[in-house]
Amino acid sequence: MNPIDLLGNIIEVSHSNLEISSRINAVLNIMSQNMNFDEVIVFTSDQDKRLTCKFKNQKGTLYKTLDRYRCHIGEGVIGSVAQKRAPQYYTDKDIPPRFGCLFYPEIDNLVKKHKIFAFLPLSDDSYIYGVLVLCSSGRHFLTDAEKILLSIISREIGGVLRVNDLLLSSKKRISELATLSELGKALTSNVEPQVILKDIGLIIAKALNALFVTIKLDHASLRVESQRYTYGTLDPSIENYVNELEQEALQHKKTVSSRNRIQREDEISSKYSLYATPIMSKNRILGTITICGGKSQRDFSFEENSNYLLNTFANYITNGLENTLLNTKLKDVVKDLNNAQKRIIEQEKFKSLGEMTANIAHEIKNPLVVIGGFTKRLAKKMHMNQTESRYIDIITNEVSRLESILNDVLNYVKDTPVPDEMCNINDCVNEVLYLFSSDTTWEHMRIVKTYDDDLPPVLCDVQQIKQVFINIIINAHEAMNGEGTITIKTEKTMMDSKQFVVVSIEDTGGGINPSAINNIFNPFFTTKESGTGLGLAISNKIILNYDGKIEIENVVGKGVTFFVYLPVKKHTNGEEFL
Amino acid sequence: MKNIKILVVDDEENIRFLFREELEEEGYQVELASNGFEAIDKARNSKFDVIVMDIKMPGMDGIQALNEIKNMVKDQPVILCSAYGEFKQDFSSWISDAYVVKSADTSELKQTIKNILKI
Repeated sequence: MNPIDLLGNIIEVSHSNLEISSRINAVLNIMSQNMNFDEVIVFTSDQDKRLTCKFKNQKGTLYKTLDRYRCHIGEGVIGSVAQKRAPQYYTDKDIPPRFGCLFYPEIDNLVKKHKIFAFLPLSDDSYIYGVLVLCSSGRHFLTDAEKILLSIISREIGGVLRVNDLLLSSKKRISELATLSELGKALTSNVEPQVILKDIGLIIAKALNALFVTIKLDHASLRVESQRYTYGTLDPSIENYVNELEQEALQHKKTVSSRNRIQREDEISSKYSLYATPIMSKNRILGTITICGGKSQRDFSFEENSNYLLNTFANYITNGLENTLLNTKLKDVVKDLNNAQKRIIEQEKFKSLGEMTANIAHEIKNPLVVIGGFTKRLAKKMHMNQTESRYIDIITNEVSRLESILNDVLNYVKDTPVPDEMCNINDCVNEVLYLFSSDTTWEHMRIVKTYDDDLPPVLCDVQQIKQVFINIIINAHEAMNGEGTITIKTEKTMMDSKQFVVVSIEDTGGGINPSAINNIFNPFFTTKESGTGLGLAISNKIILNYDGKIEIENVVGKGVTFFVYLPVKKHTNGEEFL
Repeated sequence: MKNIKILVVDDEENIRFLFREELEEEGYQVELASNGFEAIDKARNSKFDVIVMDIKMPGMDGIQALNEIKNMVKDQPVILCSAYGEFKQDFSSWISDAYVVKSADTSELKQTIKNILKI
């Protein structure tokens, strides 16, 4: 066949739609048949950048031996052709002993059968894809024209390999991108961490055809249902192995695989390939993601050099988890706020409920005393038979039962807790004022605050202290009919050589009638139409209970100032408050 | 006992009636007042061995009346008698001599009177 026909045939085959291996093998067969070569072999560079025998002509036998050896670029004749990207031609007289990676006698024997050898690089301008090796026993030399023909053909084969390479890598890229976009969707579509983690596992496992993907969380603040999310089946027999791998990944803060573990359990590493990567955010480790493929499983599309992909997945998960963490925190804060608000409302309700209950109990008790008292008198005066005195007994027993229920109710209402917290009085006052901040009847009130920022904490029950301030402030508000200035001042002071915190609350309500001033702490004393007369009485009791006191400065025509003195005490001696 | 005079001060008529019946039965002379002003008035005009004083009353409450009466008659024994038990432990900070929680069972009141009269 003339060279032009030969090239025509080769180009026709290499540009066909056949699988890459069929195309290259066909080209090699054409060369073998038409140019009288016994061996036509293509070495390609594998994922480790080592040259491996990948394609051969139909009649060839040399590959059976060569197949066992992989050589580095630069090693032997094949390696040096790849390195220098220049063809080399030899005869049986001058063929170097290092044919491939090493010198092997068995190769030597085969090589000796042949008379000429040609080695051509399969490359383009930037990249080496492999080496074409030709051996012939029937020929003794190659013409320059044949050498040019061989270099054209090797260019053609290089082109096929290149196109294939590009195709494969773009296919891989596309599938990676598809996976990442799916991950992105999963991360933004839901805020529940457990759902996100399950989705991620599923997407990655499907994308890589993995046996399983397992995400292990290692961070205490990640409050999710479980610590491990697995898609696929994690064989219990390798669970320990997976744990060890995860620990190793956390320790080294990088991807580790079953392949490069020093202590490898042969049984496991012969069956599975496992890769574990830490999930890290800027300053903390959140957990690990581990993927597992079967060794015999051809379509497990994960290779040693795609660690970057695993890192990308880990980064996605980090983002997702960080968002989730923020979300969870936000939810917690909102929940806390809601709870706090509910508690405040409850306390307010309880406070007025308490006063109301006390009042009702009082009002019920009087008639009850009358009923019970006169029933007893009736019983004393009358001579009754057994049945009649039983009736009387029932009435008096029921009355005393009701009385004791009322007493219990009143005791419950006034139940005084033991002070057990060190509280910042400034904060206390602010929290009280906050209660009124959204009240429309407070719109025309001006609050002036002069706080001592260096106030020592006071041992007390915050709720009780707040109730005292609420009572005083509400009184001030009512005294001014909702229009005026309340000046609140906090400071330190000494009294009888003891340290006190004093809170003064001054209003512009015109002061209290001097005849009433001595009675304002008496229970049931009130100047208000709807007042119960219990607010200040209870406040006074609370403060006296803390060994403090309330003083009043009354300027008729101007206003009233309440001084609440609270002793500064150490928490260690809490028993004296019991 | 005939000459022991007790003033019962309460705004509820039936309570006054009950206490009068119960205390008269014990042999005391009982007079009644329905609020603080009336009580002060009566205490000014005649001497009572014991005054039984309710706290929550319209007009003038029991503690105000207690203070006024103690100002007038320094050694006047006064028993505060309220339906409301909460302030029972506070009576010592006021100048009353005893505090009795109002009950259908009047035996505590009677006993407290006896204690104050030392009989």
